[in-house]
Amino acid sequence: MDGTARSATGSGVARWIPDEPGEEAALLEALGIPSIDALFADVPKKARIGRLGIAAGLEEADVVAHVDKLLDRNRPLSKFSSFLGGRISARYVPAAVDSILQRSEFYTSYTPYQPEASQGMLRALFEFQSLWVELTGLDVANASLYDGSTAAGEAMLLCRRLHEGQRFLVPASLPWEEKSVLRNYATGPGLQVEEIPYDPRTGNLDLEFVRTAVAAHDVFGLLGDVPNGFGHIDEGLWELKSILGTVPFVVSADPLSLTVLDPPGNYGADVVVGEGQGFGIAPSYGGPLLGLFACRKEHLRVTPGRIVGATVDADGAPAYTLTLQTREQHIRRSRATSNICTNQSLLALAFVVYASVVGPRGLASLQVSLAEKARTVASGLGSIDGIQSPRFESPYLGAFTIELRSMGAEVFLDRLRRRRVLGGHSLADPRPGAPADPPRVLVAGSDSTTEKDIQKYVRAARSILGASGGTA
Amino acid sequence: MTFRQARWDEPSIWDLAPSTPGEPAPAIPGLPERMRRRERLHWPELSELAVLRHYTRLSQMNFGIETSSYALGSCTMKYNPRVSEVLARRKGAGELHPNQPESTAQGALELLWRLERLLTKVTGLPEVSLQPAAGAHGEYAALLMVRAYFRDRGELERRTEVLLPDTAHGTNPASATMAGFSTREIPSKDGCVDLESLKSAVSDRTACFMLTNPNTAGLFESNILEIAETVHRAGGMLYYDGANLNAILGITHPGRMGFDVAHLNLHKTFATPHGGGGPGAGVLAAGEKLGPYLPVPRVVKNGRKFRLDYDRPKSIGKIKTAYGNFGLDLRAYVFAISHGEAGLQHVARRAVLNSNYLGLRLGRFLPRPFSTLVKHEFLLSGTPLKARGVRTLDLAKRLLDEGVHAPTIYFPSLVDEAIMVELPETESKRDLDEYAAAFERAVTDTPERLRAAPQHLAVKRVDEVRAARDPTLCWKDLRQRTGNAEKGPPAPAAP
Repeated sequence: MDGTARSATGSGVARWIPDEPGEEAALLEALGIPSIDALFADVPKKARIGRLGIAAGLEEADVVAHVDKLLDRNRPLSKFSSFLGGRISARYVPAAVDSILQRSEFYTSYTPYQPEASQGMLRALFEFQSLWVELTGLDVANASLYDGSTAAGEAMLLCRRLHEGQRFLVPASLPWEEKSVLRNYATGPGLQVEEIPYDPRTGNLDLEFVRTAVAAHDVFGLLGDVPNGFGHIDEGLWELKSILGTVPFVVSADPLSLTVLDPPGNYGADVVVGEGQGFGIAPSYGGPLLGLFACRKEHLRVTPGRIVGATVDADGAPAYTLTLQTREQHIRRSRATSNICTNQSLLALAFVVYASVVGPRGLASLQVSLAEKARTVASGLGSIDGIQSPRFESPYLGAFTIELRSMGAEVFLDRLRRRRVLGGHSLADPRPGAPADPPRVLVAGSDSTTEKDIQKYVRAARSILGASGGTA
Repeated sequence: MTFRQARWDEPSIWDLAPSTPGEPAPAIPGLPERMRRRERLHWPELSELAVLRHYTRLSQMNFGIETSSYALGSCTMKYNPRVSEVLARRKGAGELHPNQPESTAQGALELLWRLERLLTKVTGLPEVSLQPAAGAHGEYAALLMVRAYFRDRGELERRTEVLLPDTAHGTNPASATMAGFSTREIPSKDGCVDLESLKSAVSDRTACFMLTNPNTAGLFESNILEIAETVHRAGGMLYYDGANLNAILGITHPGRMGFDVAHLNLHKTFATPHGGGGPGAGVLAAGEKLGPYLPVPRVVKNGRKFRLDYDRPKSIGKIKTAYGNFGLDLRAYVFAISHGEAGLQHVARRAVLNSNYLGLRLGRFLPRPFSTLVKHEFLLSGTPLKARGVRTLDLAKRLLDEGVHAPTIYFPSLVDEAIMVELPETESKRDLDEYAAAFERAVTDTPERLRAAPQHLAVKRVDEVRAARDPTLCWKDLRQRTGNAEKGPPAPAAP
């Protein structure tokens, strides 16, 4: 194969690789070689492969038809009355947000290593950092991490840089996925992720457990989440700093909740992480997501990830740049604060554009309305025998947990699905051998949830559980 | 080329409209007083058009692949097909929740499954997971798998060392440290791994040797089979950093070269957009030894149904929420099936042809430290510039004035004043010639003009030293600084 004629390559979308007449021939001639093969003379024969064994390329129209056929086998959320939520939510994204994301100057650019050529992205990231600082009440934010769970992992490693000890405390109610991610981040340095039991009535952290653990002088940090893994707000978080003393305190917070809740910086958080997907990003089957990370200024030099700073240019005009890079892997290598190279810049842009388009009043109203819907769903489901709803006696915003008295969560959810209701998700760890939890489901409303959706859920649940108890 | 970037004296978003300090945040019934936010979030209330204008203006002060040749070495800045952007925004792709029942996401699972099968062919490794969010994330997960493997064999106490060449990407040693290993650098000889040094470095303490091939000098490690044998004979694992896979698609693959585990960067080789730094999408590919340790869940096919399988007792567990960056996986799938068998090989062949041609053109102006037969990228050394009182950094800035993006500079560190250039297969001969012409104008310009560059961008040379010395990292910091400025003019810029 000499690669001179496109038809000979069998490549589908010819336009993606330039091929003006004589182009490759001219390149080869300049190099004084007869064929591209000569450029692979350094690949030993024994290391070569014959062919990949994949299909021939497709033209664009055929690719679209094929992918659409696959995507048609999905049933998007709008086909259901959906009550799925938790860390990942499905909220309406104003068209204006995506139109900015589709500016190719943003989405096709690389990490802004050359600040003079990348002021646009740098300024957007600076605005993003500022917004996360405003929401959390902390001092500095980085320019994003992969997702909320890995941000929590990085926060744990930061705590270990600040404090001696081997044990990191997390709520037992933390979603199993996040516990698993944290345990992986703990593996390298040999740390223990230990679960704090919760009060069976309220779901709140057992503060006595924390007190005892901290007194043993082996705890180097604690993570609390707001809302917690049950969707509820644990008043105990406001007490934790006084128990922890100098032990670093991480809060994992839903950004929308922070439009109505006391910023964690006010009650002693040293680090605030979160999942930012709910701000302008489609759920996309779970990725890409957006890891949020803020901390106190005194911990800046041991912080993970890219950070944008304001400075001036040679004329003294305002300018922005990646800064404090001596913490990072491309400079510090094995002694870096993190291995982060790629982050989630474009999603950070979505976050700040979404917040700006919706505005601070709109965001708070959205949270208020989601909380109202959640209360309506909770009381509707609570009227059914066989469901304890909400399961826990503590405040909640847009999501809450129900417990089934006589049916497994998976069976219940599957029967709901057949009635076109996605009733939430089971909180159980799906891995074989995981401890059997009571059948609990996290239920969340979204901005598209209507009164009719709620009635449909309650009716379907009542019929599945075969009882019409209560007063509804 | 005459080039002038837009320069908007665009205020920051919070200066476009006053926020409303003091306005109370709304109350949620049943929420105790102490848990409430007192003042509403300080952020401006703006019309949609005002927001759009602000970010459109910012975008005009940014290079992207669709505005400029983007020659960053090791970053593989190729065209990101527009059709993928359209498809990733279909309802059937975007409007899927990771917790929805598998029966309602069969298309997504099938797409992931098909992409994984395709990537087993591309990597030559039988087991693939799409869970990592990025390349470095994949490195880290792979090293946790290596750890778990040696733990199960009772060798972890002893095998504590990760070896890497001095040309390795910075993420390699950083990931190794995070995974609890110590690192040891193997010196290079003529830009490639010195086999003798490697032979004397491997031992029963070696857990893993991390290598990218072609390496960051753009050279194919021709001793790869001997390297694999050396590492395996010592009982270690061979790790493939897939950042430079673009050069060898369909020519060779990690499996054939003897690697046990690999990560790929779909945002490089498979043309998913870099998004100003992310999102990326990482791939983990593993051979039989490490396959059982891949993160859960795995996508499996039972009959005609696809599902997520959590029953992998040796798995390291989860490394992120949900399963991979589906939106990016879809784009990578589009790229792969569009090119197909011959097309993917053509990608590598043309990328390598472009790189060798541009290397030849730019090699007339600055020395090339190693062999001139290169793969996807090549190195130059800016050392001769020093005699004229000019640094590589000045040359990079001067290139920006030509409307093209600068190469990666000062990496790898084994070359003094390193300049690492990569223009992949989607750049035409015309683009390469224009890049070479721009490079010639830049490198032959006067020292004064080089040091004063850039002149044609939204800002002049950015003072990075000041940014690090006086960290100003958010709106709050700026307000504080403005408060101080009221007492006197701001300090003049450092030279």
